[in-house]
Amino acid sequence: MRRLDIWLLLAVVVIGVCSYLAQGSTAQALASPGFANRQMVWLLVGAGMMVLFSLADYRILTRLAPLLYAVSLLVLAAMPVLAPMRSGSRAWLPIGAYTIQPSEFVRVVTILAVAALVREYTSHRLDFRASVRLTALVLAPAGLIALQPDLGVALTYVPILLTAFWLGGLPWRVWGALALTGVLVVGGAWTWYLKPFQKERVLTVVDAERDPFGAGYQQRQSRIAVGSGGLTGKGLHSGTQSQLRFLPAQHTDFIFAVWAEETGFVGALLLLVAYLLLISRIFLIAIAARDRTGAVLAGAVGAVLAIQTLVNVGMVLGVCPITGITLPLMSYGGSSMLATGIALGLVLSVWRLRYANV
Amino acid sequence: MTFVRDDLRPLQRRLAGLLAGALALLALLGVRLWVLQVTQGDRWQRAAENNRLRRVPLEAPRGTVTDVHGNVVLGTRPAFQLLLFPEELTAPEETMDFLVRIDVANIKELELRFQRARRTSHLPSVVADDLSWRQVAAIAAHKTDYPALEVHPATRRFSPEGPLIAHLAGQLSEANPEQIAANPRLRPGQLVGRSGLEATYDEVLGGSPGNIILVVDALGRHISQVDQEPPTPGRPMQITLDMALQREAWAALEGESGAVVGLDPHTGAIRVLVSTPAFDPAIFAGRVTPARWQELLQDPLRPLHNRALQALYPPGSTIKPLYVAGAVMDGLRTPRDAVHCSGAVTLHGHTYRCWLAGGHGWVAMEAAVEVSCDTYFYYLARDAGLERLARWSQLFGFGRATGIELAGEARGLVPSDDWSRRVRGHPWYAGETISVGIGQGPILTTPIQLAVAYAALVNGGRLVRPHLTSDRAVPGEALGIPEQALAEARKGMELVVLGGRGTARRLAGGGIPFAGKTGTSQVVRKRDGVRWQDLPREQRHHALFVGYAPLDDPKLVVAVVVEHGGEGSRAAAPVAARVLRRAFGDGVTMAAAPTGDQNAVQGQAAHEQAGEGGPS
Repeated sequence: MRRLDIWLLLAVVVIGVCSYLAQGSTAQALASPGFANRQMVWLLVGAGMMVLFSLADYRILTRLAPLLYAVSLLVLAAMPVLAPMRSGSRAWLPIGAYTIQPSEFVRVVTILAVAALVREYTSHRLDFRASVRLTALVLAPAGLIALQPDLGVALTYVPILLTAFWLGGLPWRVWGALALTGVLVVGGAWTWYLKPFQKERVLTVVDAERDPFGAGYQQRQSRIAVGSGGLTGKGLHSGTQSQLRFLPAQHTDFIFAVWAEETGFVGALLLLVAYLLLISRIFLIAIAARDRTGAVLAGAVGAVLAIQTLVNVGMVLGVCPITGITLPLMSYGGSSMLATGIALGLVLSVWRLRYANV
Repeated sequence: MTFVRDDLRPLQRRLAGLLAGALALLALLGVRLWVLQVTQGDRWQRAAENNRLRRVPLEAPRGTVTDVHGNVVLGTRPAFQLLLFPEELTAPEETMDFLVRIDVANIKELELRFQRARRTSHLPSVVADDLSWRQVAAIAAHKTDYPALEVHPATRRFSPEGPLIAHLAGQLSEANPEQIAANPRLRPGQLVGRSGLEATYDEVLGGSPGNIILVVDALGRHISQVDQEPPTPGRPMQITLDMALQREAWAALEGESGAVVGLDPHTGAIRVLVSTPAFDPAIFAGRVTPARWQELLQDPLRPLHNRALQALYPPGSTIKPLYVAGAVMDGLRTPRDAVHCSGAVTLHGHTYRCWLAGGHGWVAMEAAVEVSCDTYFYYLARDAGLERLARWSQLFGFGRATGIELAGEARGLVPSDDWSRRVRGHPWYAGETISVGIGQGPILTTPIQLAVAYAALVNGGRLVRPHLTSDRAVPGEALGIPEQALAEARKGMELVVLGGRGTARRLAGGGIPFAGKTGTSQVVRKRDGVRWQDLPREQRHHALFVGYAPLDDPKLVVAVVVEHGGEGSRAAAPVAARVLRRAFGDGVTMAAAPTGDQNAVQGQAAHEQAGEGGPS
């Protein structure tokens, strides 16, 4: 077991099983039996990707990063032309009978590109030029995705940049400047950019009864689902909140609520611990990496997964606003599953090659 | 490229920091999970059981519409609505079966409604509008079996007058998504005006809905009320219509298809607006089923068509007084200029017949209107030319919308050479001008345009804007026609009814004197040797009459079209007479048919040929 990380695999298997069971429940609630089976297929394909990429050499892939990155930007730039409008955004590309969400895959490419860039800087402190290049590298695809508009996915690019800054070593005064900019950007967005329904989503975190039928509805239903699960849950396929369809977007954004309602604190905690294990292992692999590239690569994957998990579960538990960020490996969706599999494969590749001297 | 083993220690320290942060936050989420599920578990458990917040929409009662005397034209009455709360629907099949059993709707409609309801998730959907007491009782008795259903008191549009105000009042229908997006007052499922007054004044009549937010338990029983926002009822409005005259016109048109428009010539205030056949407005007071809608749409008599505004007819001889006014105004004819009518005249190489085969002899202007001599107007048309005829028609409002506040008004058609080339693809033929001279050929008008044109003849030459609400009254555009020209046309129209040879002289007796002009407009080409009585009904001529009273100071102009009614004097003039006499206090007393009746019938045949005179 020198070459494969058994704990990481265990965590993935636990999450995968939970995912399949929870999707079985939503499939029944939404009367679309295809959900659970397709999720199973995606899980298996994602696992295949993970194994495949774990056998690849991440250093070669980082060398290919500039090319992959250029192609990614081209695809994203062409989305307004190629992708049809679906549920209010042009985020899905029809390929035959399937639709893929390029932004999920571009995230992995962006992480590779960042890792490739950081390799050039051996200093322990990022200089100004490096910071600017990193920022442009991450914000270019994120901006194009925000224009689709798919704010939920665009937001998942932010942790890549912050991780790169953090690992690259940004001086404290620059962090201070960034924090100030962040406050200004958030303030500006609140005043000029955010739509009223998006503001409501934020405000309902503070006051769930604010709008019991609008933005607050989802928060309230989600909290009721989780809370009423109690210690041991209502049993699989027996959650009233999901089966009676009080829960919105239950197969995607709110899948954790379905799981928590039906399996209770015991099941929800098990799942949370599995994520904790997964994230811990990724960071430990990053620490064990043989070079800067591997460390940054694994670290960025870990950070993105951690943020997605924290924000999604936080949203379900009513402590974060509703942003449309899905729960990796749990939420329904082929593109996300495949991209996550590839990312984990890269991390395993870093682990496999940690002693390699080539 | 060579790889130098970097010093990775600072990097590793930072990674460890990130890991620690992520672990701490995940742990906090674990705590939050414990609080929600274990510490507060019971509370959320209860919330889940009582988790049925229902937003029950409270529809605003639509505003009452009254006529000029304060009689109710459109009101509301209480009714019971059936609401469906889709998120509580556990057994759709059984629920639908139940509703079919108690005869709320058929299964197809219910499937449609249920499907739509599911799409709007947490908003209730109206399944039925007007439950009977028996249905209300049945649903109440089975409340626990079908918790997603709720009977809800509401109001429903109701007209004590029935079909005779159907077109005027218009229809209601559920607001469509575009309307909802454009108007914050509207909610999904809300009824809005789709045509007629209901559409034009929806902002006034519609009010804005309110709602009650209720907490109900798993069985649909009300636990408590969270919030209430009462609806704002629609505002009442008064229209210029006179229901007594409307009823009279309706009764006079009974069994026919046609239209009556009555208006005050000085202001343009509409007193009568009838179109037949009509439909029962109760059908459109709620949610009309697609089947019912199709049935009405496909009815060959087109009951949804508001003939008063939307139907186009050649004006026939009713255009003659307008030409008289135009001819005097332009100095083309003096009242004394006379023409000899021998029953036919050859112009541009074609023979045009007067409706009176034997001819009228020498006729001057007033007599030409009185006896409706076609020959006189053939010569006038030849001398005036198409452009001048068109200008006179347009002066009186032909070819454009009158501006009444009801949607869908037809503009009519005033022909020109340019129009002919553009639409028909060939130039205007000189012979067609002769036909237009007696209101035949490609000249089309609506009953309301005729009423407005005649109003100008009797109000001193102003083109009023017809309206149903007095705040839309405008002074009216002065047309600049000398009073002498208008007086000449009026003199002719008085003789039509009161003169010894007038085409409507049999209506002279028995009540207040009135004046007007008959018209007969042809529908199909006449076949030789066939009497109009023998033609199938849909090929018979349209009968027209436009009249006014009192003679010295006209207060009411009435335009009547009876489709396929045959002759204007026989089918349309009596309708106008009834309305005018009702308006001015007389009962309806019809004079005996005059002896000249036989002539009129023979003349009809000739008239038709005359209308066909143009080259084609």
